[in-house]
Amino acid sequence: VFPGVRQAQWLTKTKLVEGLPPAVQGLVDNPALGLQELEERARHMVSHARLWDTAEVAPRRERYCPMLFENLIHICRLMSGKYPSLSKRMLARNCRIAATWERESILLQVRGLSGILMNSKTPIPPVASKEEILATKEHVLETFYPIAPTIDLQEVNVYQELNDTGQCFRDGYPYSHPHTLFFLESANVRTDRFRPEQLRAKMLMFAFGNALERSKALHGNDPKVLEQPIVVQSIGTDGQLFQFMVFQLNTTDLVSNDGVKNLVWIDSDQNLYERAQCVPEVKKKVVTKPAGISGFQPDTFKKFLALYLHGTV
Amino acid sequence: PEPGRAPEPRAEPPAAVEAPGAVEASGDGEAPGAAKAPEPAAGAAPYPDMAELRSLACDALLQESFYQKKKRPFLYRDQDHTPGPFLTQLVSTLAASLSGRNPLLAASSLDLNPEVNYYWHHGTEVVVHGHRKGRVDPVRFQIDDNPHLQIRVPKQLPEVVPLESDLGDVPVIDHKPSKLPLFKKQYENKVFIGSKVADPCCYGHTQFHLLPDKLKRERFIRERLEDQIEVVYRSNGIASLFAWTAAQAMYQGFWNEADVTRPFVSQAVVTDGKYFAFFCYQLNTLALTAETIKNNPRKNICWGTDSKPLYDVVEDGNVKGFNDEVLLQLVHFLLNRPKEL
Repeated sequence: VFPGVRQAQWLTKTKLVEGLPPAVQGLVDNPALGLQELEERARHMVSHARLWDTAEVAPRRERYCPMLFENLIHICRLMSGKYPSLSKRMLARNCRIAATWERESILLQVRGLSGILMNSKTPIPPVASKEEILATKEHVLETFYPIAPTIDLQEVNVYQELNDTGQCFRDGYPYSHPHTLFFLESANVRTDRFRPEQLRAKMLMFAFGNALERSKALHGNDPKVLEQPIVVQSIGTDGQLFQFMVFQLNTTDLVSNDGVKNLVWIDSDQNLYERAQCVPEVKKKVVTKPAGISGFQPDTFKKFLALYLHGTV
Repeated sequence: PEPGRAPEPRAEPPAAVEAPGAVEASGDGEAPGAAKAPEPAAGAAPYPDMAELRSLACDALLQESFYQKKKRPFLYRDQDHTPGPFLTQLVSTLAASLSGRNPLLAASSLDLNPEVNYYWHHGTEVVVHGHRKGRVDPVRFQIDDNPHLQIRVPKQLPEVVPLESDLGDVPVIDHKPSKLPLFKKQYENKVFIGSKVADPCCYGHTQFHLLPDKLKRERFIRERLEDQIEVVYRSNGIASLFAWTAAQAMYQGFWNEADVTRPFVSQAVVTDGKYFAFFCYQLNTLALTAETIKNNPRKNICWGTDSKPLYDVVEDGNVKGFNDEVLLQLVHFLLNRPKEL
């Protein structure tokens, strides 16, 4: 069961900023990257995933959601012809994550399959300046009195703080920096999928979990304010609606409610296209909705690509 | 009636069954579809950086077989545990890295687990029982294939030999394919290249096939059938590529009474995760039915290599015995493109 974003913020001691950080927005708006030309390819990729991929009439979400993701990643990967340093990335599927931390004397743990993880050989530089980080000291975390912030979380008896097995990879793995997590809500039945708010909360919790694990691997288990904040991104989609998130871990001192907070930028509910019509809709012998993809939003794809390029370009 | 149906091309081949109309050159030939030295794209460095590509390949291999903690493989599904993900990683990173040198790759579409189907008639048979007894029917064949990965491109690969060249003779097999036993039952007539006709990437570039666990080398060696190991790779290559190129030709409007006016060339790599065999196929004719094959001198042709290992063993985070030749062949395959690009 997953909490909403506000609850996740309290659990991870995070301040929310609406929209994407300036570093990523700069990539979206940068004409030198040639994102305009890729619009055509992105449109084809959406058509392929939603319309052309199967010999049947229309592919189901279980097929088109991962296929759309693979197609978009394929376009992003092809950019390494132009920016060779992009090849220092590796996709890992079915990664398990487990991270443990304490908030106000409550022991919390994030476990599970964190979807698809893209790792990088180089970390993403911090997206918030030192002043912004210090300014978070003033921020007061929203509490939910009288509701306990751990409502709806599963209470488990944790006998062993599983931090070592939390890592998905063995030591010495060259692609050691978690770059972006991808969450694909591809269940066919709507009630099996996470709603956007829950998906964003899940993205935040797992991005936090991965960043926390990375920080423990780099700096040890002592809670402290990080000299070099760790940035992990998240992208979630159900095959049409995208959620973009950039998370910056500024502190591992999570017990108290004061001091420096972590930061998260969320750009929510971005549609990549309005509708995908596999068969034209005909009413009274007139075609009311032609077959094809309508309402394609290139900006959503540009944001996807910008998050991919972030940290290397 | 006993129309035929092809099982997935990786079926156990007791004797090599040729896809009708295909001639196979001897197994030791190098796949000529790629140039010996890769042609540089204008303005690019003269040769691809082999050290860089080797390190990408090793990273992909180490990630899937060593670094990522995974559960035990499912029973008889070993190929899904390491070889499958390794192949996906290898091809996607190499293709991305080489896309700077090959504009065709930069415009390509990558399919994971696509479906490829082709349906055709070849030869005749006499109906044995039923109210149509005694009538002469064409034998119907259907291939339903599931490559692990395939790359489709918007422009055709160049021809390897001219369309009308004399390529020798095709072995003739007298008994019905269903006695072999193959092509026993046929269910649905489908022609599909992996994507619908509206897709601009309507030509095939390279397919990648993963051999299932039940056809692994160790089994053949244990049952003293070493001479059948290469047969598995070859039959997979020929059948899959025939189906793919023929389906591509049909998408362009050719069929057995309107034969192709230009050859259709595609490539395939068949692997079990460690051993790689490379194939290049040129489709010169679709006219295989009893009427159209009578005066048809054209033959299709497939070139292929024997399977060679990419590496010896992965030990303690190191890849031992990495074979650059195999990687180079793979790179040549990926760099293949029409002359004008």
